[in-house]
Amino acid sequence: MRRTDKYRFWFVLAGLVLLHFSVRSRLGDDRIAPDFLLLALLMYTIRAAPGPSAGAGFIVGIIRDALTPASFGASALAHTLVGYISSWSKAVFFAENLFVNGCIFFGGTWIRNLVVSLASGELKGQTLVWELLVWSPLQSLMTALVGVLVLIVLGRWLSVRFTDA
Amino acid sequence: MTIEAERYGSRADTLVFLGCLVLSVVAMTVPDSIRRPFSQALRQTILAPLLALQEETATLKTSRAHVDEITAQRDSAMLAATFLPELRSENARLRSLLGLGQRLATGYIPAEVLHESGPTDPLTFLVSAGRRDGVKTLDPVVSPGGLVGVVSAVDEQTSVVATWAHPEFRAAAMALDGSVYGIVAPHGTEGPGIWLLELQGIPYRSVVPESTLIVSSGLGGVIPRGIPIGTVIGPGADNEHWERTYLLRPAVHPAAVTHVMILTGTTKGNGNLRDLFQDEGKSP
Repeated sequence: MRRTDKYRFWFVLAGLVLLHFSVRSRLGDDRIAPDFLLLALLMYTIRAAPGPSAGAGFIVGIIRDALTPASFGASALAHTLVGYISSWSKAVFFAENLFVNGCIFFGGTWIRNLVVSLASGELKGQTLVWELLVWSPLQSLMTALVGVLVLIVLGRWLSVRFTDA
Repeated sequence: MTIEAERYGSRADTLVFLGCLVLSVVAMTVPDSIRRPFSQALRQTILAPLLALQEETATLKTSRAHVDEITAQRDSAMLAATFLPELRSENARLRSLLGLGQRLATGYIPAEVLHESGPTDPLTFLVSAGRRDGVKTLDPVVSPGGLVGVVSAVDEQTSVVATWAHPEFRAAAMALDGSVYGIVAPHGTEGPGIWLLELQGIPYRSVVPESTLIVSSGLGGVIPRGIPIGTVIGPGADNEHWERTYLLRPAVHPAAVTHVMILTGTTKGNGNLRDLFQDEGKSP
């Protein structure tokens, strides 16, 4: 890996963070708009080891908790889990495949929402069912689509080489 | 945090993971007195520029919505302004109609013209008064400018008015000074003179000067005497059989009428209605 690749990688992640706080509010319903911040985390976990991925997840989560103090800690827990599982599953699958990465983005978003919903205790009954079976899958799908698009366009910057499934 | 292209889970990774899990659980259990200052500190430091960016984006979004709203209001105002002359014109017509009603005093039924968007609308149109209001067939229909037509059919709540432009329309007419008498009929249904009238049956020896006002003569008992019909604008094309024909500019154009009065009986003026109508050219 060349030295410049690392800067490009961080540049892409920073861009995703900026998109989260600028463009996301214009992408329609907040419940289904793609989560760029989580996408940046998942992009990181594609290349990082499980330990640092868990740490990065915790940091991202605690930052999000600062934005939603009502469920403080739930987001940190969820992002820690997602970061670690994502990185670990990537090592297990050992595939630089676009579809696999898309599945990781989809699953990561859905699991994050699942853990936050359960750990926060804010959602119950029918609301929880709608969140997990309707809104979360839609947001996961949107996030996965954006993630795949980023990988297609900026895959070389992220040093991700795709192979056939 | 280092970035590694190839990695497998090590014991250190597991320890970091477990440590983060413990910290997360601790974060969930700490009291509000600790959560709030911590969250506030994060928002005022690390997150401050990002929140400012988000706020700026929201402001831009709101500004754009305001621009769209203002644009819509401006368009509505422009549309209303477009119709303003028409409203003024209608207001003037209604005022003149009201004046005519006061002069007529009795023997009329006010009605609204129910225009249709068809090419034959000026030939016949519906009015919002019918048998229930006392309208009868062959009642004259006038506006403040003059004669519009006669009622050709009466329904319970509406009536059909055959205007002077209808091919079968005929009216006994005379010059305002009574020097000549004739029959007024529509000039035709095609060609450039489609919306003109003809004064027919004028003796060859009689000459009617231009700008002479032609009014109804009252002969036949259908249309009262003195209702303006039109103004002579010149001789007709065919002057044969020892009679003359003159072209008239109608006093009222059916398409421009929005409200009319249906004359139903005796009115002021001893049968001559000339003084009740506006002078030629002042009709709105």
